[in-house]
Amino acid sequence: MTETALNIRSLSELDLDDIVRIVEKTRDLYQPDLWEDRVTYYLRRDPEGSVVAEDGGKVVGFMLGDVRVGEFGIEEPTAWIEVIGVDPDAAGHGIGRALGGAMLERFKARGVRRVRTMVDASMPEVERFFTALGFEPDTLRPYVKRLAD
Amino acid sequence: MANTTTTEIPKKYHDAVVRWRQTYLPDYDYLISNWERFFPRDPEFRLCTYRELGMPCAVEVGQDLGKPKAERACEMRPEAAQHLIAAIRAQASTEFGSIQQHQLTLARAQDEEEQAMVLRMMAEELRHGYQMLSLIIADDWQPITGQSSEDTVEEILEMQTGSHVLGAFNVDFESFVDNIVFCALIDRVGKYQLSMQKVSAYAPMADSMPQMLREEAFHLATGVVPLRRWVVKAAQGSPMITMEVIQKNLAKWVPRGLEMFGDERGGATNVKLGLKPMKNLEAQEQYRREIEKVVHDLNLRYLRARLPELNLGAAEQALAELLRDRGTFRGVAFEDLLPRSPDPDAPGRLPRDARLSRLRRRLARRRRRREERRGSPALHAGAAPGRRRLPLLARRALGDRRDGRFAGFSGPFRLIPRATARASAR
Repeated sequence: MTETALNIRSLSELDLDDIVRIVEKTRDLYQPDLWEDRVTYYLRRDPEGSVVAEDGGKVVGFMLGDVRVGEFGIEEPTAWIEVIGVDPDAAGHGIGRALGGAMLERFKARGVRRVRTMVDASMPEVERFFTALGFEPDTLRPYVKRLAD
Repeated sequence: MANTTTTEIPKKYHDAVVRWRQTYLPDYDYLISNWERFFPRDPEFRLCTYRELGMPCAVEVGQDLGKPKAERACEMRPEAAQHLIAAIRAQASTEFGSIQQHQLTLARAQDEEEQAMVLRMMAEELRHGYQMLSLIIADDWQPITGQSSEDTVEEILEMQTGSHVLGAFNVDFESFVDNIVFCALIDRVGKYQLSMQKVSAYAPMADSMPQMLREEAFHLATGVVPLRRWVVKAAQGSPMITMEVIQKNLAKWVPRGLEMFGDERGGATNVKLGLKPMKNLEAQEQYRREIEKVVHDLNLRYLRARLPELNLGAAEQALAELLRDRGTFRGVAFEDLLPRSPDPDAPGRLPRDARLSRLRRRLARRRRRREERRGSPALHAGAAPGRRRLPLLARRALGDRRDGRFAGFSGPFRLIPRATARASAR
């Protein structure tokens, strides 16, 4: 598989089972209800803000995000990349990079000036991935307060 | 956030659509007042037109490829303008028609979230109809149709289940399963029509499509997601929904969806005139493949709910075996599944003669209703409104008196309960 053979297109409701399958293969979690809710959310709010990668008609990766205003007091329309998944059988073929590139292009075409995401520090490969896409550390920092164990 | 401009149509037309909404979408106010609860932080619904900016200015397909797109109907070839206005009228009819259908059984939803999704979808269909009316109002179609825009708008707003342009919109819903399956299957045809019209050689039409398509993406999820949850309930033995009911509804709507693409041999004229990029058969085939995927995924979801011990690979293999051998796997029979490829010639699609006969019956029903509206309610006592339909009819009749021309019901209308009508007929 080459990156040029990939077809990147907008997310649709038909991708639900493929997303559930990819997540199950990568995290060993079968969570159809959760992904039905999430996909409905993105389709409802911003169907062009999320993309999937197809290789030979089969979905091999997805990236979910949307453009929001007012998040954490940021009044400027800001795009958020929230979830990425690549089929482990297709890993190492630039699918994540292709998805990220397509997402950034789409956001830029819509006049968005800032794209944000959050990366778990325990996942350095994800951090490397976003750094390779041109992301850099931001002044916006996540904080957490634990209310229960 | 999209690159669009928004406008409202002239006030008298806008008000007419609002009055139509009050009659056929009475839960609209409930939707708006509960918007934040059901769709937190989503932009509020607004009844207006959206026109996409930055769309191609040159014709994208057909004999005029590369020439500037038309901004006015008079700039088009007469044949193209004729096809176009027919498509706009049909599109408008489907948008308003689907709301009338959904309203019939909306209250029968078992789940508040599913009901809210359908209600939002109905409001967005109203906006789509409004968008189509804007195309009629903003241009002069009289040289093509021989009818003023005002009359065309009135004609569309007068349509009811039974008098809409396409067959699928003349079928009464029987249960909330219809609402959901309709979204999954018939709105999917809508997606194809909108996608094809996105390349229209008539710029206002092409520019109208992107926002409609964005909203349509949610409408399809409104159908598919509840279906996915219902097959799980069916697998768990819920008395409220069974695979048989879902299958029956698929068989009811798939043929009607396929019909909406038009004659399988047709569509070349639309391509030649630059109005659509695909012939009917090509679009229909893609649609059929999408339906196959929906059904396959529903079956997999069902199987995994029935046999939760199976992992992904085992479930996929079991499903493939069941479909191939038509046997049984750990108590799950082939017959428990939905048909892999809903057959357009099977249960839902009647033979031509039967379809004609049904059409004749429908026309007879319409004739009876017309006669009743003209003040002869006892003439067909069996068709007089029952107690449940009376409030709806009353709203329509009152709307007529209050709103005049655009209420859409110009004849006198008497409301007589069925029992009284039967008694007077004796």
